[in-house]
Amino acid sequence: MSFFEWKKRFGFLLHRTSRAEDLESEMQFHRELRAAKLEREGLSAKEADYAAQRRFGNKTLIQETSVSMWGWIWLDDAVKDLQYTGRILRQNLLFSAIAVLTLALGIGANTAIFSVINALLLRALPVHDPQQIYYLHVLPGQPDGAGNTGNSDSSFSEYVFEQLRTRQQVFSSLAAYVPAGINKITVRSGATPEEAAVDMASGNFFAGLGVGSVCGRTLTMADERNHTGVAVLGYGFWNRRFARNCAVIGQPLFIKGVPFTIVGVAARSFSGVEGTPTDVWIPLQKRPEFNAWGSAGENYYAAPKWWCLLLIGRLGPGVTPARAQAMLDPAFQHAAYEHLGGKPQKGETPRKLALVPARGIGESQDGIEKPLYVLLAMVGLILLIACGNVAMLLTARNAARRREFSIRLAIGGSQVRLFRQLLAESLVLVAMGAVLGWLFALVATRLLANWGQIEFSLTPDWRVLLFTIAISVFVGVVFGLTPVLTTLRVPAGLALKTSSATAYRERLKSRSARVTVALQVSICLILTVSAGLLVQTLRNLEHENLGFKTTGLLVFGLNPQLKTGSSKEAIRFYQDLLVKLRALPGVESVTLMGNRIGSGWSNNTGAIVDGGDPRSVSGTDSNAMRWNDVGPNYFTTLGIPIRLGRDFTEADSSSAPKVAIVNETFAQRFLKDRQPLGHQVSFTPKIAFTIVGVAANSKYTGVREQDVPMAYFPSMQMNDVGALHIELHVAGDPASFWKEIRSAVASFAPDIALLQPMTQRAQFDDGISQERLVARLSIFFGGLAVLLVATGLYGTLAYGVTRRTPEFGIRMAVGAQRRELLWMILRESLTICAIGVLIGLPLAIACSRGLASLLYGLAPYDPLTISLAVVGIVLVGLAAGFLPASRAASTDPLVALRYE
Amino acid sequence: MSADFTREEIPPGTLDLLILKTLDREGELHGFQIAESIQLLSQDVLQVEEGSLYPALQRILMKGWISGEWGKTPENRRARYYRLTRDGRKQLQSSLSRYERVSAAIGRIIQPA
Repeated sequence: MSFFEWKKRFGFLLHRTSRAEDLESEMQFHRELRAAKLEREGLSAKEADYAAQRRFGNKTLIQETSVSMWGWIWLDDAVKDLQYTGRILRQNLLFSAIAVLTLALGIGANTAIFSVINALLLRALPVHDPQQIYYLHVLPGQPDGAGNTGNSDSSFSEYVFEQLRTRQQVFSSLAAYVPAGINKITVRSGATPEEAAVDMASGNFFAGLGVGSVCGRTLTMADERNHTGVAVLGYGFWNRRFARNCAVIGQPLFIKGVPFTIVGVAARSFSGVEGTPTDVWIPLQKRPEFNAWGSAGENYYAAPKWWCLLLIGRLGPGVTPARAQAMLDPAFQHAAYEHLGGKPQKGETPRKLALVPARGIGESQDGIEKPLYVLLAMVGLILLIACGNVAMLLTARNAARRREFSIRLAIGGSQVRLFRQLLAESLVLVAMGAVLGWLFALVATRLLANWGQIEFSLTPDWRVLLFTIAISVFVGVVFGLTPVLTTLRVPAGLALKTSSATAYRERLKSRSARVTVALQVSICLILTVSAGLLVQTLRNLEHENLGFKTTGLLVFGLNPQLKTGSSKEAIRFYQDLLVKLRALPGVESVTLMGNRIGSGWSNNTGAIVDGGDPRSVSGTDSNAMRWNDVGPNYFTTLGIPIRLGRDFTEADSSSAPKVAIVNETFAQRFLKDRQPLGHQVSFTPKIAFTIVGVAANSKYTGVREQDVPMAYFPSMQMNDVGALHIELHVAGDPASFWKEIRSAVASFAPDIALLQPMTQRAQFDDGISQERLVARLSIFFGGLAVLLVATGLYGTLAYGVTRRTPEFGIRMAVGAQRRELLWMILRESLTICAIGVLIGLPLAIACSRGLASLLYGLAPYDPLTISLAVVGIVLVGLAAGFLPASRAASTDPLVALRYE
Repeated sequence: MSADFTREEIPPGTLDLLILKTLDREGELHGFQIAESIQLLSQDVLQVEEGSLYPALQRILMKGWISGEWGKTPENRRARYYRLTRDGRKQLQSSLSRYERVSAAIGRIIQPA
């Protein structure tokens, strides 16, 4: 269509009223001339007039056809459809409100959960051209003999990093980064020390990712080469701590007591590539106190066997991940074993590089993926139930409007027009539901972020918007079209006949409504069973015996501020600190630990028993052991029973004979049928520790931990003594002790902050916070499903009762008892529920199998949970049926029969 | 109504062509004149349901093949006069030549050789 024609069309759009009048007068003139001519030919005036009109044709139709030639009819029609829709919806305000609210709940819940999934798992990093950014992994894990971190498959040694970095034809830039502590570490600007997440990064980290700065600059290669004392702040930290003041640039920031200079603030959108936002970035450091993960061992520059750096790279233009892997592998194979004996050990699986696309919030997504998709599935099912309800509402309402439709069809309204009208009503409802749902989702994501302690922006982006639009369209098709199609199948004459003529059709329709409700019940059963299983799991986790007394236990971490950094000085520091803390009133005992129990961190290694591999002695198939280094009186402080031998004491010092305590599982597995005391255990062939005690099993990494062989060694007998955690057993309200503890610690050095101070119980609770969130949400979703199904069931029954009022009247008139009518309706309700349960049970069991990996302490087909869910459904059936049933039972036969 | 008996319906699609041809021949006409003219020239064989002229006129008007202007009849009545535009003349030429090609082809087929 030419521009000229469009211009003309718009002209007609703007002036279409006057143009239509013109056209009408033009045609009127035509008819007058024709009549005049016919009159001249001898007809009477009246006859001529009629004849002229006959020859002209249907003037209204012709007028409409002519106007349609201007090409704006669709717009007129759409406006009319919308106006009419608005009137209809306003007329049935309650109906509209229920429908829109139901849809909004369904769409909103889906949008909210998807927002979280999008933010945590799908969203590209907020950097320049994120499609080219990949994490470098090594499969199946680090080579044998390499120093371990928790991230075996994603960590590399500094040497390997340097070797890979030179391959510039593969990566346009390859950057390394690593946290400076397992948790947050101490930073100080001004007087009060605080905790911050500090990452060390290579000089090309920011430039390679394409992340700019808000103020000042980011890191440079020169910073890396000289290991400069400069710091780049994260936007969130800068906002929180420095109120977004650019004057911080040039100011000192003490990190672990070492002065750094703030040189810049990273771009707002970028919060790092760790699972949680990074507060401060500093260049890679050579100093011992800035080792990777805050480890006490040798710095990564000095220890080429320690694989600890995480790598992220931008692929060069046109390089695919597969090609990059092929190009890098030879260099990697060589570099990997350079410091590990030159070649893989005998029987070692070949190590391979893998490139993992950078998505979501970073690499720490373990374990959140599955629960999130479970939640998404739940809200998806809720949306289905919601659609069913609204579809039934619409069908019922359209049935009530049957007469209107028939009359419209009978007087010549086109089917297409009627179809469009009904579709417009559905679409308006969906659109309103979607908009309201979007608003719901905005609020819900904020709540979720608070609840789930998600420190990332969950703000919906285009991907979420697309998702919402997609599900709304889906909803529009599912619930919008179905009732429209069933309504339009009515022949024009039918509805004008008496109601008994339509009885058969009505029965069909109410049967389809009952089938819908039954299906809803089955979906609801899936949801309630899942929710039940997840809640039971949470209960089991919360009541799990941890193996120690949780009351009165406080824990905090710290990095000692030392002059020389030697282990000797550190040991001295801790001894003094323990004395000071023990002296505090109310403190019953104090001890130390290397890995904080309940935090998920652990040392894992193959056990060495009496200098050899325990597999050859005990005949077990695994030599895996966990170990921790702990302070004096560890078992007494935690209340872990000693089964044999003794607890550690102050006497087990660095100069005393090396000793160890093992747990019962260790003794049973590796020292079967032998007296465990006196045997030797170690994690390294270099030193042997003599077993002086056997302790009861207790949880180490978290609540879900299964019993594993476990060995404890005195912290003071470790080669390197660095950051430790302090555990106190106190009498009285634990929270009241922090103030005194702080001041006791502060008397040692100004730069020591208490790291993550909390009760030991809270630490273990933290470990199951995700399970708690999932359980709570699933309860909420299960409740929502029950509510929706109950209203759907109620609506269907109530509608049926209204329609059958005459029937009840007749039944009453011929002697039916009230109780019989009551039971009739309740039976109908229960039948629907029973069918739903029959369909739903196998589905629920199949779905709960998918949940298996999330459950704890119960089987997916837990009979108690399933029976409770079924009982719940029956109660819903009774409750939803009761009102309609009692209405049916109180039918007045006289009034009822008057209807006919 | 017996007079209508011998009249033929206009084949669909040809109405546009007839209107254009009529305006080409007569210059400026209003709706009634166009209807009359088509009937007259076809010696009353072709019968337009007169109203159907107007949607066709609107369609052609939108295409820009004719222009319409309000004027006065000799009896001093307000009427819209239509005339062919340059585009309309071109359109007419191409329609006519296509029509001739098609009817010649049909002629060859139905005429015994």
